[in-house]
Amino acid sequence: MTSSEKSDAEIVCLVDDDLSVLKSIERLLASDGLSVRGFNKPKEFLSHVQAHSVPVAILDIWMEEMSGLELRAQLSGLSPGTRVIIITGREDPVAKLTALQMGVVGFFTKPFDDDQFLHAVRGALAMHPIE
Amino acid sequence: MSERDKIDMKSGEHRETADPSREEQLSLLLTITMEVAAASDLASALDVVLRRVCEKTGWVLGLAWVPNQDRTVLECGPVCFCCGEGGLTKFRVASEGSHFRPGVGLPGRVWELKRPAWIEDVTQDPNFPRTKAAAKVGLKAAVGIPILSGDEVIAVIEFFVQESRAKNERLVKVIAAVAAQLGLVMERKRAEEKLSSTNEILESILSSMGDAVIVADKEGKFLAFNPAAERMFGKGAAQTASREWSHQYGLYLPDKVTPFPPDQLPLTRSIRGEEVNNVEIFVRHDEAPQGLWTRINGRPLRGPNGELSGGVIVCRDITEIKKEEFFLFDQSRVLEMIAANASLAEVLTSLVLLMEAQADGLRCSILVLNQDGKHVRHGAAPNLPAAYVKAVDGAPIGPRNGSCGTAMYLRRQVVVKDVLTDPLWADYRKLAEICGLRAAIERQRVQETLRERDARINLAAESADLAFWVIYPEQNTAWMSDKGRKMYGFDSKLPLTRDLICGRVHPDERAAVHAAFDRACASHGLFESEHRLILPYGKTRWVIVRGRCLEDEHGSLLELIGVTIDVSAQKQSELQLQIQREEMSHLNRVALMGEMTASVAHELNQPLTAIANNASAARRFLERGNIDPVLLQQLLQDMVADSQRAGEVIRGIRALVRKDKTVVRSALNLNAVIADTLRLVSSDIVLRESVVVTEMDHSLPQVEAVPVQIQQVLLNLIMNALDAVESRPPAERRILISTRSLNGESAEVSVRDFGTGLPQDRPDKVFDHFFSTKQTGMGMGLTIVRSIIETHGGKISAENAPDRGARFFFHLPAARGDSKSQAA
Repeated sequence: MTSSEKSDAEIVCLVDDDLSVLKSIERLLASDGLSVRGFNKPKEFLSHVQAHSVPVAILDIWMEEMSGLELRAQLSGLSPGTRVIIITGREDPVAKLTALQMGVVGFFTKPFDDDQFLHAVRGALAMHPIE
Repeated sequence: MSERDKIDMKSGEHRETADPSREEQLSLLLTITMEVAAASDLASALDVVLRRVCEKTGWVLGLAWVPNQDRTVLECGPVCFCCGEGGLTKFRVASEGSHFRPGVGLPGRVWELKRPAWIEDVTQDPNFPRTKAAAKVGLKAAVGIPILSGDEVIAVIEFFVQESRAKNERLVKVIAAVAAQLGLVMERKRAEEKLSSTNEILESILSSMGDAVIVADKEGKFLAFNPAAERMFGKGAAQTASREWSHQYGLYLPDKVTPFPPDQLPLTRSIRGEEVNNVEIFVRHDEAPQGLWTRINGRPLRGPNGELSGGVIVCRDITEIKKEEFFLFDQSRVLEMIAANASLAEVLTSLVLLMEAQADGLRCSILVLNQDGKHVRHGAAPNLPAAYVKAVDGAPIGPRNGSCGTAMYLRRQVVVKDVLTDPLWADYRKLAEICGLRAAIERQRVQETLRERDARINLAAESADLAFWVIYPEQNTAWMSDKGRKMYGFDSKLPLTRDLICGRVHPDERAAVHAAFDRACASHGLFESEHRLILPYGKTRWVIVRGRCLEDEHGSLLELIGVTIDVSAQKQSELQLQIQREEMSHLNRVALMGEMTASVAHELNQPLTAIANNASAARRFLERGNIDPVLLQQLLQDMVADSQRAGEVIRGIRALVRKDKTVVRSALNLNAVIADTLRLVSSDIVLRESVVVTEMDHSLPQVEAVPVQIQQVLLNLIMNALDAVESRPPAERRILISTRSLNGESAEVSVRDFGTGLPQDRPDKVFDHFFSTKQTGMGMGLTIVRSIIETHGGKISAENAPDRGARFFFHLPAARGDSKSQAA
């Protein structure tokens, strides 16, 4: 779903180590007309961030390589302007609290409501123009 | 009354000169109070008061009065004090001969009013019966003070002086205060006396008890040692160190020879604070050279604040009970000998010894009927003189041929009260006299034929809880002991055959039992079978049947003899146990599921999320009307795949949680089971920020096992390992799972963590029931793990790894015929 015609400022990045979940969220975003770039491995995403500006990143929490919260911490050093939405497969109040304290703009427990999710992503994209 | 009151109320402060000063009075009070408090009993306390008051106040005579036993009069005593001239003695003697009722004289007055009374001049007092005696020695003023214990006057003290004195309130108060102290002493004393009377009751109980009771303080000094104890242990309480007790009282372990370890003696243990229950000690000393058995219970004694103050033991003589036990034990030993086909001589000798052990001085002999049916033969008589044995061996049987020969002839029990007078013993009287025999009880059970073997079987059948039977294949007949007929549900008269006996066997097993019989008969060999019997009223019994073939002198089959043992109760409890094991195992799996919540939720959420997202994406694409058919196709395919994935997860959980009645083993590749299991808990591993490393041996042989059970074993070990590393920093939360082939004969799996390790003393303890270091654990997991591995013919062990953490490893035998085949 990556789109070379669109500028980085319009592309939403998505990181989830579960391929089928990754693919399905990519499609959901695309079906609503959003451009998306999916990453199966957190590290690949981190190297992408170093070369591109990322307006919005959607991160899964429980990944084998690195947790989404850890990824969020590293990301804020590399790209402080990126708005982060967290998705998780597990009800976890502590993780939610931590995430919100880290300043994420959305927190969704899978499976989530598509309208609310897309609304949150659009909201995040519209929040600030990228620097 | 009014007269007395008037005198009491009179006060004369002006005549105080001879009385002690205020300071002296205070010091008097203090001194007396202290001394009285230190007094050990009433008499010495009274003595202190009388003496000190006289000394300090100048009063010359002090007397004490106490009520008699039925509290009708006051009597003088037990102490008095007088100083000054010897003339006072006369008054004292007069007092000692007097009794006063309530209200009479000074003491009676004080007793009745329960308050002090003062007489300025006794010679002028109308209510002073001792006036004459007082006048003779010149006594004038007197004061009486009650000693109260609670509301009761327990004594009255009176003091005299040889001059008239007006009442001195202060002095009265001082003495009354002293008297109050005395009252307290008295109360204490009474309590002590009460205690000592309680002690007397206890003493009398102890001395009349059949059980031995011994009480010792915490230094091991005997405080009580009742007569039963003296009888039981041969001597009384000797004050020796507790380590000498075993030696001193002849205390042994149940082997009867090893002295009882001193620090394990019940009394020593109870003094240490332990509760001791049912310890058996063998006691042997000069008074009881045969020894006696005791069963001992002990309890620690504690002071009012719970501190240990000693111990008490109660010992019961259980010699008779033990005899009974030994008898049963010996009895079963004789049966075992029979079952083991011991020689007749050995069996009979054991029987004789068994009988002789039942009473002192009892001598037994067993005689066997000779094959000719007309003469007795020596069987066993280990404790009778050789002359006796020689004389009776080969004697004929007949109506008057000793007790044995007669019993065999008459085929019934014969009892002879005195062999020296009974006519049956006429021919053997001399012999009996020589051997010192008097009474003879000889039994002979009569059978169709009195051949050696039948006699042997019957002797045992008599006392055993076993069924004995003989099948004569030639004649197609059979014999069965009474017990056996009951067990098989046969009427006692019914002629038996092999087919009848086999007809009782459960239909499912009947053919197999018949076949086993045939095999045994064909080979003249052994017969062994475990099967069910169906009794006439539908009752089922589980039995074990053992038999062997006997041949005649030409080597042809004579008969098949055997025993049947009812093992229904045993079977029932085995089944019960099996059900319990399955229940526990199931509970463990459910509990594991509970622990794996993260994985379960995650495993289900992932495919469900993917399905939901794909579905809403498809809907949106359709709404926008620009859907690419190929994309739609892919979407739908993925949804199907994810549904299947969710279904797999559910199936996996159900397989693990289901109560499976039929457990089918199949050839398994343990490497694959490990991979599957890890997939099942992957989320928990991630969630706990732990890492599982696997080192698989690809030449691992397949094993024959129930997949779910092996998965249960692995899950238990992995969840335990995750718990073990939880307290370590994330970088150290490592678990290593490895497999290896042991010469292709068995497959070993090792689960190793880098956590806190196992109990140092005995790592294997973790397999015990209810051993748990976890707050929430049931302590059943590893017990179940071990039982699963063992039912699969494998073995599991636990050890502490050399550097850190614990290692669990189990091995399972390679699947049959598959030890060479290699798992991929």
